Amino acid sequence: MPAEEASAAIVLRARDYSESDRIVTLLTRDFGKLGGIAKGAKASRRRFERKLEPFSHAMLYFRRRPHGQLVFITRAEAAAELRPFNIDDDLAKIALGSYMLELADAMTSEGAEAEGAYRVLSEALGTISDAGASPALRQSFELKFLRWAGFGLEFARCRQCAAPPSEETAAYFVVSRGGIVCARCRPSVPEGALRMEGASVVALARLGEADLAEASSTGPAGADAALAISRFLSSVLDRKLRSTAFLDSVMAGNPRA
Amino acid sequence: MTRLVKELSRLPGIGEKTASRLAFNLLNRPREEVIALAEALLEMKERVGLCSECFGLSDSPRCHICSDEAREHDSICVVEGPADLMAIERARSFNGVYHVLHGALAPLDGIGPDDIKIKELLARVSGPHGVREVIIATNATVEGEATALYIASALKPAGVKATRLARGLPAGGDLEYSDAATLASALSGRREL
Ligand SMILES: [Zn+2]
Ligand SMILES: [Zn+2]
Repeated sequence: MPAEEASAAIVLRARDYSESDRIVTLLTRDFGKLGGIAKGAKASRRRFERKLEPFSHAMLYFRRRPHGQLVFITRAEAAAELRPFNIDDDLAKIALGSYMLELADAMTSEGAEAEGAYRVLSEALGTISDAGASPALRQSFELKFLRWAGFGLEFARCRQCAAPPSEETAAYFVVSRGGIVCARCRPSVPEGALRMEGASVVALARLGEADLAEASSTGPAGADAALAISRFLSSVLDRKLRSTAFLDSVMAGNPRA
Repeated sequence: MTRLVKELSRLPGIGEKTASRLAFNLLNRPREEVIALAEALLEMKERVGLCSECFGLSDSPRCHICSDEAREHDSICVVEGPADLMAIERARSFNGVYHVLHGALAPLDGIGPDDIKIKELLARVSGPHGVREVIIATNATVEGEATALYIASALKPAGVKATRLARGLPAGGDLEYSDAATLASALSGRREL
């Protein structure tokens, strides 16, 4: 029998399977994304401590099986250094948190190292737990997660001439260049571009740098910034995220967010 | 055989192994028994519909609970599915009426408010018969909590009191599997949302 392995992990997805089992998708700290099956999960509350729900943050013990099948999850336990996320007391928290789980799932692949992704997601869910959901936190998370995945978007300087943006002048977001070009360079750039207010560009540059907790206490960049990020995300994701519609409707109806 | 296994494994809680076992079992039964089962399935599907008021299972347009004048029609208990309704009825500690949502909000599965019977609930509450209290008895899962929070905020403008079952239910636990005593205490310890 293969050795038992263990890692801190966040449960991205979970569903019941057959009479008593549960199938989960985990973002582990040490082994990237893993699909696993917990045999008898519904009967054995003791072995799994109800840690096989979306947003659970726990030490997961598992054994691998050959040929990339689902790993066998043997135990799940709370650990002092893994903070539990407190998401389910507020609709906006659930909506944004679900979106984060889905984005993390869509941008990672099984078997590939993803410690940075685990860290960004864990910090983001921790920030939601403490500070609640906000559009600024969403944007900051998107920028950080994209950067982890190798898509560092550039809002702090023009992709062409490196000039920094200013609050007063509009700039142009070019999806295929993953960043902005300034108004002066725009005529020499053949690709289609999305016009953005200077203030939005400056705000995104700031949200990309600030840590998540800091970002969540500031204002978001404008709707043009949200559109730029969502255009870029759909260019790199192979599917539409299911949680986006709900998140957008909750955020629109929630003046606090 | 493959077709039957495929159809059976669509049922909740039935994996492919169980489906094959059931299919083999059926194969070995006398012909009359298999016909009786098939007829029972068809009859159930044709006769049992949804109650037009609470959307619980019913073989008449209005179910026996909604048509019972002795029940308190101004107290509505909201559940995710018919099995939850039956579990609460078994606990015998609720004398109001029900509203069956047929699902829960599940952002990760793209299930939003329009995909379950929330509009119908809001219409009932703002209807001509006054509603005193809406008790939200969705499961203690992320989906169940999201549904409860959504309904509570949608009821605010109508000025109807919304309550949630006490946290006696095990987190992540399905209401339909809770025993009567747990359900009774969860009902009596409900808190306002
Ligand atoms: Zn430039
Ligand atoms: Zn009814």
